Amino acid sequence: MHENPSSDTQISRRSFLRRGGLAAVFVALVGEGYAMLRSLVPNVLYERPKQVKVGRPQDFEEGGTFLEDYNLFVFKEKGAIYTISSVCTHLGCNVKLHLLPKPRTVELGGKRVSESFEFACPCHGSLFHSDGSVLKGPAPKALPRFHVALSPKDGQLVVDTGRQVDTEFRLTLSA
Amino acid sequence: MNIVKAWIRSFAPANRKEASDSIVDNLLLHWFPNKVFRRSYAFSYSFWLGTIAMSLFVIMAVTGVILMFLYIPSVERAYWTMKDIDYVVSYGWLLRGVHRMAAHFMVAVVFFHLVRTFYTAAYRSSPKMVRADRRVNWIIGNALLILTLALSYTGYLLPWDQLAYWALIIGANVAQSTPVIGDTIKELLIGGTEIGQSALLRFYILHCIALPLLLTVGFVFHMWRIRKDGGLACVDSAVEGSGEITTEPASDKSYLLLGAPAETRYTVTTSAFLHPKNFIQGNPHVVKRVLWVFTGTLALTVLFACLLKMPLEAPANPAVAPNPAKAPWYFLWLQELIADTTVRIGSLTLNGGFIGGVLIPTVCVLALAAWPYLDRSPPQAIGVWFHRSRWLQNAVFTLVVLAILALIYVAAFLRGPNWILYPPGVPWPLEPPIL
Repeated sequence: MHENPSSDTQISRRSFLRRGGLAAVFVALVGEGYAMLRSLVPNVLYERPKQVKVGRPQDFEEGGTFLEDYNLFVFKEKGAIYTISSVCTHLGCNVKLHLLPKPRTVELGGKRVSESFEFACPCHGSLFHSDGSVLKGPAPKALPRFHVALSPKDGQLVVDTGRQVDTEFRLTLSA
Repeated sequence: MNIVKAWIRSFAPANRKEASDSIVDNLLLHWFPNKVFRRSYAFSYSFWLGTIAMSLFVIMAVTGVILMFLYIPSVERAYWTMKDIDYVVSYGWLLRGVHRMAAHFMVAVVFFHLVRTFYTAAYRSSPKMVRADRRVNWIIGNALLILTLALSYTGYLLPWDQLAYWALIIGANVAQSTPVIGDTIKELLIGGTEIGQSALLRFYILHCIALPLLLTVGFVFHMWRIRKDGGLACVDSAVEGSGEITTEPASDKSYLLLGAPAETRYTVTTSAFLHPKNFIQGNPHVVKRVLWVFTGTLALTVLFACLLKMPLEAPANPAVAPNPAKAPWYFLWLQELIADTTVRIGSLTLNGGFIGGVLIPTVCVLALAAWPYLDRSPPQAIGVWFHRSRWLQNAVFTLVVLAILALIYVAAFLRGPNWILYPPGVPWPLEPPIL
């Protein structure tokens, strides 16, 4: 029995080849486009390592020290070390540590404490408490703190800027 | 002598016929229409803002290519090649000054061009205009404004001074603050996770190749659409208000008359709009005007480049942001919005970078693009400055423009160190002690 080639369920050889050809062109163009776009997303980053050695704890003074190479504040308080990032959580400017004219009593993390400094961002006016939490301004969250450990090899502090920790984190130095 | 004549003949037509022929014969003149509606030509209607913007772009394309020979897009050397351009290269200061001044002017002129188009309702077409739709050209124009701003932004990143570095930090983080796709966009823009060599190279290529190419294509499209839409919108208003007149046959038109005896005197009934006195020749009038506007624009740009100080801040320093760190004037309203629009609803916090830096500008652009489709004013309003029927939308538009200018004023003059608001006249305090 001979079927009508122009019936709804059948397509002609010419039409099939035309559609196949168009589909191939489409796939090729999309593929090329994707390849070009994807090549612009780096697979290897030639950037600084996330873990950095910042010096021996005994070289830090009591209080805060700003490490400008790492955009990092290192605090040494009563034999314990912690860090606060200087990169504003709003849009990434570098906050500065401002000493207050006189200490003020504030509630931080449910405790009443006295603070003698704050962090201020020059770009859009965010202010942070001495523990890094937001005081006012457009910053959406607290300044991050990073994990600190002692290098067993040379006794230097190793800060891991890829690993955030909470405000309770302290590296206690053995006396 | 004849060889020279053959080349320049079309630029100096001896009569109307030669003028019309020249439009067809000469590639450069083919850009222009043969006949132009007289009012389109008037400074009082369009303020020639489009021609001025085009002139500024040409000035920047030429000075930009020269600057490309003098500048090296490397984080170590970019800043010092800028110093060389300013102090060592012969006339380098002039080239950079003209390029920079033209960029500032272009942002302003393209914006005024948009304002002019809005107030004259030139973004729509009269139903009497066949196959015309200026709304398409309005959207192309919006895209050209965005491209102009993108070119300005990528341009002031290249000196790799403090302004450049911190603008790049803030720009990249605004992109990153977009939910879901933010991280990908940032990585694609700066070629990594930190601002460095790959970011500079990407923005250099965007500034020197990708964006100028897009702008050129958009500009050509913009010009072509003007021709397709029947010229400037004041043509529509003339067509709308035009009655019929009966006149003598025009001397420069052909009429097809079958079977009329040779000595018959006849008259022509036509639209009053089409009367020859309403039109001027594209060549030489429009050609001359473009050349004059270009010359004047160049002269003013050079003058201002000589008069105004050209800033170059300290070399990029990732450790210290300037205090206060301020964007160029045309982005200050965005900087002010970014600083004010962080939203806290319960435990949910939306970064002002996203609200003020992405959401509000996107809404503004979409509203702008959609406006002609929502404008219900009568066709008589098209091509008329401040038509009565559009008073409400003109008022709304004016308020938005004034709000933007007010934000720029606040950010430029009232924001002191740490972005604190100081009323006019109150001196900024010395900075608190810094650790």
